[in-house]
Amino acid sequence: MDKRKFKETLLGGLIKNNPTFVLVLGTCPTIAMTTSLFQAFAMGVATTFVLIFSNLFVSLLRGIIPDKVRIPCYIVIISTFVIIVQMVMRRYLPELYTTMQAFIALIVVNCIILARAESFASCNKPLYSMLDGVSMGLGFTCALCLIGIVREFLAGGSFAGFAIPGFPAMQGAGASAFGFITFGCMMALFNFVIQKVNERKARMKAASLPLTAQLEEVK
Amino acid sequence: MDKTKFRSMLQGVLVLAVIALCSGLLLGFFNMITYVDPLQSAYDRFAEDTGATFSKMTDPDGEEYENGLVLYYALSDDGKYHAFLASGKGGYGGDVQVYVYVSDNKITKAVLGENAETLWGTFEENFFDQFIGIDVTQKTSFLPSDVTTSSTAKLSIQAVSRAIDAVMTYYNQNVGGENNG
Repeated sequence: MDKRKFKETLLGGLIKNNPTFVLVLGTCPTIAMTTSLFQAFAMGVATTFVLIFSNLFVSLLRGIIPDKVRIPCYIVIISTFVIIVQMVMRRYLPELYTTMQAFIALIVVNCIILARAESFASCNKPLYSMLDGVSMGLGFTCALCLIGIVREFLAGGSFAGFAIPGFPAMQGAGASAFGFITFGCMMALFNFVIQKVNERKARMKAASLPLTAQLEEVK
Repeated sequence: MDKTKFRSMLQGVLVLAVIALCSGLLLGFFNMITYVDPLQSAYDRFAEDTGATFSKMTDPDGEEYENGLVLYYALSDDGKYHAFLASGKGGYGGDVQVYVYVSDNKITKAVLGENAETLWGTFEENFFDQFIGIDVTQKTSFLPSDVTTSSTAKLSIQAVSRAIDAVMTYYNQNVGGENNG
């Protein structure tokens, strides 16, 4: 296994190609399911499960699926795993399923999943495709949880369901419009930090080059 | 028709059909291992929400009204709780199920059941507490305007109010004042 590709695939979804903050995919569940940390986490886990297995099967069948019917085939594969998630949640987490039912079903049309199936899994080996699913899923879950923490704190004055004394709930902070504002602010902050880190890395790399190489780069 | 084109079309259809068939088999397997009998599920929920025991479903067929229906009704073994699984029509994502518990003619608890509504996030955390204490024999109907919330999810509110309304109608028609323990 190529170590470099392994590392790139694993970290790609978390930072460089984060589906929420960088690629801006899956905005609908991002806004709808981040009113609390627990819901955000559950949505992230459900999406990660679907991403991993749909990527695996799309990759395994990439040599068999004809180009013309690839999208219907991907949708059948994705919807199968979404229904499995629904069945398992309904059986073992009925209360959570009650509040998330509509959005779990909508994972089928989540752009992240179809985008990864089309752009990555359909042209990579099964192991890398699964790894991409893990990476993208973790990136999505982390982003959702971060937004969920902020929104739950502002709208309910709590963290993971536990009330924080001295922080009253802010009226209207649970509304979708406020969700978009929070999402936008966090996206800006995320990209700002990444940009600063990249600039610092570039400066350090330039400083470590010998003088002749620096002159060459200037030329 | 061009033979190559026909073969390519046939291949596509066959691959899609095989994938769909395998998908169906996989889902069938998962359905077998995760299936819950709706009646048993209602029993469990009634017991969990009230802390009482329910050994038989008093009315497993329920009753349908114009805007809502009572799916199941059960009286707890100690005769204290009347448990209903009601459904209100006209929600944004279809019917909205609500578990309603009545004791001494008053609603003691209301809990959200299965639904496909998308705006629960805009409701107050204690939204269902407002139904506690409502005397089901005093009010003959329950309207969306009787619901207090800052949420603008009108269709969800309408469906919840219709489920409560169905419970009130059922209670007054079939349970009555003298029968409830």
